[in-house]
Amino acid sequence: MENLRSPSDQLIKKLQWIWMIGFLLLVLGIITWFIHLMRAALWLGDVPSAAIGIPLVAIPIFLALAGVVFYVFWGLAVRGRDR
Amino acid sequence: MALWGMVIDLDRCTGCQACVMACKAENNVPAVGNKEATKGRTISWMQLLTETDEEHHEEKVRFIPRPCLQCDDPPCTKVCPVYATYRNPEGIVAQIYGRCIGCRFCMAACPYNAKFFNWYTYQKEQPGQNPDVSLRPKGVVEKCTFCHHRLQKARERAHAENREIQPGEYNTACADACPAQAITFGDLADPGSEVSKLARSPRAFKLQEELGTKPKVIYLTEGEGGG
Amino acid sequence: MVDHKDDYEDILLAPIAQTGSGFYWAVAGLSVFILWGAIAYAVQLYEGLGVTGLQQPVSWGFYVTNFVFFIGISHAGTLISAILRLSRAEWRRPITRMAEVITAMVLFIGAGQILVDMGRPDRILNVIRHGRYQSPLLWDATSISAYLSASLTYLYLPMIPDIAILRDRLGKWKLFYSVLALGWTGTEQQQRVLNRAIAIMCVIVIPVAVSVHTVVSFVFSMTLQPMWHSTIFGPYFVVGAIFSGIAALIVAMIIFRKAYGLEPYLKPIHFRYLGQLLLIMSLLWFYFTFAEYLTGYYGAEPEEMKIFWSKFSGPFWPFFWAMVLCNLFIPLACLVRLGRRTVGKVLAASLSIIVGMWLERFIIVVPTLSNPRLPFPQAIYVPTWVELGEFAGSLALFALFYLLFTKVFPIISIWEIREGRAEGLHEVEERVKSYLPDEVKGAA
Repeated sequence: MENLRSPSDQLIKKLQWIWMIGFLLLVLGIITWFIHLMRAALWLGDVPSAAIGIPLVAIPIFLALAGVVFYVFWGLAVRGRDR
Repeated sequence: MALWGMVIDLDRCTGCQACVMACKAENNVPAVGNKEATKGRTISWMQLLTETDEEHHEEKVRFIPRPCLQCDDPPCTKVCPVYATYRNPEGIVAQIYGRCIGCRFCMAACPYNAKFFNWYTYQKEQPGQNPDVSLRPKGVVEKCTFCHHRLQKARERAHAENREIQPGEYNTACADACPAQAITFGDLADPGSEVSKLARSPRAFKLQEELGTKPKVIYLTEGEGGG
Repeated sequence: MVDHKDDYEDILLAPIAQTGSGFYWAVAGLSVFILWGAIAYAVQLYEGLGVTGLQQPVSWGFYVTNFVFFIGISHAGTLISAILRLSRAEWRRPITRMAEVITAMVLFIGAGQILVDMGRPDRILNVIRHGRYQSPLLWDATSISAYLSASLTYLYLPMIPDIAILRDRLGKWKLFYSVLALGWTGTEQQQRVLNRAIAIMCVIVIPVAVSVHTVVSFVFSMTLQPMWHSTIFGPYFVVGAIFSGIAALIVAMIIFRKAYGLEPYLKPIHFRYLGQLLLIMSLLWFYFTFAEYLTGYYGAEPEEMKIFWSKFSGPFWPFFWAMVLCNLFIPLACLVRLGRRTVGKVLAASLSIIVGMWLERFIIVVPTLSNPRLPFPQAIYVPTWVELGEFAGSLALFALFYLLFTKVFPIISIWEIREGRAEGLHEVEERVKSYLPDEVKGAA
């Protein structure tokens, strides 16, 4: 049984966090992009209905995605490991 | 606010294509060359369409000079993903070469086929070109702009002389060149202008009006309401 | 988790553990086509889109057809995987991973087609900086990025227990698998978390997938062009996508079944069920096509009829009738009786459908552009070596991505097969019991 404090285990844990944070940053980036497009369209007065309506649907989907992935990460890698 | 429009009298049009050539000279429209023309890539902002009768194919029924119809509800601006084509407040549908990503969606959407694409780099800077009009690089869409550079020049001249621009000061190259004076250009928002009066003629009709594009190039049919 | 190790499980780990010469030959073969595609694209990048057969007014041709085609194939994963999971169909178990991988890989290729089609690919950031939500292309960008993220997630989550198996048994790439396995040890709590997450993903992924091909269809139906501006396009494209997706999945299954010796896992019964699904989709596709063309023909609007006749008897008739042959008649002939030689018949039908569905996309895109409303002469579009090379290269690249995936992760879900043996039988028995009238206590 490997000691939890062994360097390889610590490295794995670190990489898993990086992998997870990276994914969350990607989702955050995409959501930022949607908001940027929405704001640009509102500022220009360019079809505000589409500019608000589409991000209104798309952003919750990405948030749900990020939520599910993080839930799995937390449940498996963080909570699961402590047991 | 002006609303620039055009009336083309099909009864006067002789099909000489002086408008086509004047437009090409004025706007640095590239001559794509023999090979490219055979492949169907001629760029012609003002194009002369020949409408033949369904039953009598050999008899050419009418010539229709077709610039960009500068629609008031343009199907092309709706689909542009990057704002490279948009309708400006004076009614001219603008084309921004620097923004265009060359997706050609506007070309697919235009029911009049008024948009053209630079399939290669068709021309470099040469003497003899109009310095007021920028050259288009490869990979972007271009189309008739109602000689918008002439509007800018007229505006600046008027501004320098502290006055408004007069009717007739801003005229498109095709309207200037037509020997039969079939093309009238002007401000449709001014009810007294020549173009407004002609647009209200009983002979006036719009191409494919049922599509709801609200084009601002209005045609006058031939004869006394026939054709 | 009870470790019901399958007798055949080593087959599933073999492609990852060793590499035979077959793999290298396959990569070499695919690389030739990829090279052709790369050279074609390089020439196009340098000279301009003029090296294609595109022209005024046919400004969209092969590339847009390929875009719709590849995005269509991506619907394989969702239908099989998500819907079958939600409906708890036990026969999905060996198939889900293959389907999900198709979706994940082909979406990249599909999105890449748009990049290839752009006149100014150097300005791609304009879509991000200055995008307009009124344009169906932006709806595409949003939808496809959502689908890509969702399907990658939906591929990854059910892979976690398998990655843990690789981490423990394989011996190589231990760090890689350990990181991705997220500390999976198979405890009750972890299983609960994972199953819940997968169930949520199933529900999210289906509407996202439907939205993807619907917005791809909106690129055409939101214009005013005859035979494009049709309300049927949304559902029509989704049905066509699922149709071509299943066909592509079957072909992939048969290829890898042969290459990796997966016959114990991919049995004729699986192909039989998929073949039946394919038959249903073929009839459904035909129904939509028939409705679309009958409506156009009956209304007899001159602009639409110009295009209708150009497809039916005009310059496009070989493609149109080949499409009908490949999408309806050949599948009908092959799939109606799946008793004997199931795999062969299903393979024939699938290959035919893949060709037929590509032709269907082509028949939608080009004839409408070829026949403009105003009196122009009808244009004839002939693709050049650049477009053919790009198509071949794209297909080869997709195949290469898929092949490389199978060398790193198991192509059949090991833990789901185990789960099927351990719990599936019992669960199905309980379920069937619940459908029947309850037994009276103490009955004779």
